[in-house]
Amino acid sequence: MEGTDSQQTELNITYGRAGDYLVIELDGEVDVYSANSLRGAIVEKVEEGEYRIAIDLNKVAFLDSTGLGVLVGGLKRVRSHQGELGIICNQDKILRIFRITGLEKIFPIYDGVEGLARSRAGD
Amino acid sequence: MGCEVSGAIRLEMPSSPRYVSLARLVVSTIARGLEFSEESIDDLKVVVSEMCTNAIIHCENRKGEERIQMSCMPRPGALTVEVRDSGQGFDPSCVGSFEDGLAAGKGFGIPLIKCLVDEFELQTDREKGTLVRITKYDHRPAGVG
Repeated sequence: MEGTDSQQTELNITYGRAGDYLVIELDGEVDVYSANSLRGAIVEKVEEGEYRIAIDLNKVAFLDSTGLGVLVGGLKRVRSHQGELGIICNQDKILRIFRITGLEKIFPIYDGVEGLARSRAGD
Repeated sequence: MGCEVSGAIRLEMPSSPRYVSLARLVVSTIARGLEFSEESIDDLKVVVSEMCTNAIIHCENRKGEERIQMSCMPRPGALTVEVRDSGQGFDPSCVGSFEDGLAAGKGFGIPLIKCLVDEFELQTDREKGTLVRITKYDHRPAGVG
């Protein structure tokens, strides 16, 4: 939301499905304070056998390099099981961080769950 | 219309992750008062988050209640921010690239800061701690950049 700031660093995590992907939907801010909860969620789901994961960042108000590090760690984790980790994001301020760091070339990025589903249907 | 912001603004906080969002809030409020663009404000929030996160990491191995000091020096069209810690410092030659960060799964912070600001200065010492100073211009004056 333009022009607003929040001091609270809450990160709400919910789960959904898009085809054979587990979608981890984040709502809040991803920084050094909240990143451990995201890391824990990814680790837990991979240990449960989920190797196709999409992280939905469309409701994320803020993401910094600590969050990027968690996503890279998650990518390595699923790839060790021949899996995939995609990013769902249509927010330019977040996509800009992926572009600057070159991570847009590492992660498959979709603009929404529908885009992920369309991509999977086209496989 | 933004409010007038002048003079240095200082924030001292415990070296704890829970206060990084407060630092972002302070800097974004000052930048909004300077009528920075939303993109510049977003950049500053990322930069300050990286600066404070690094300061917390530098203090991790120190015993006691380490504190982080942030100073903001606004002027028309520009904002300078300093973050100082009393941690253990580090070897600046160890700062890598985004590619190094990808391999390690961390270490994106300083390369990211450098991409998002106009001026960057780093002073680090094993005994005295680390000072990072950045300046961000909202609209670059002629001849800069």
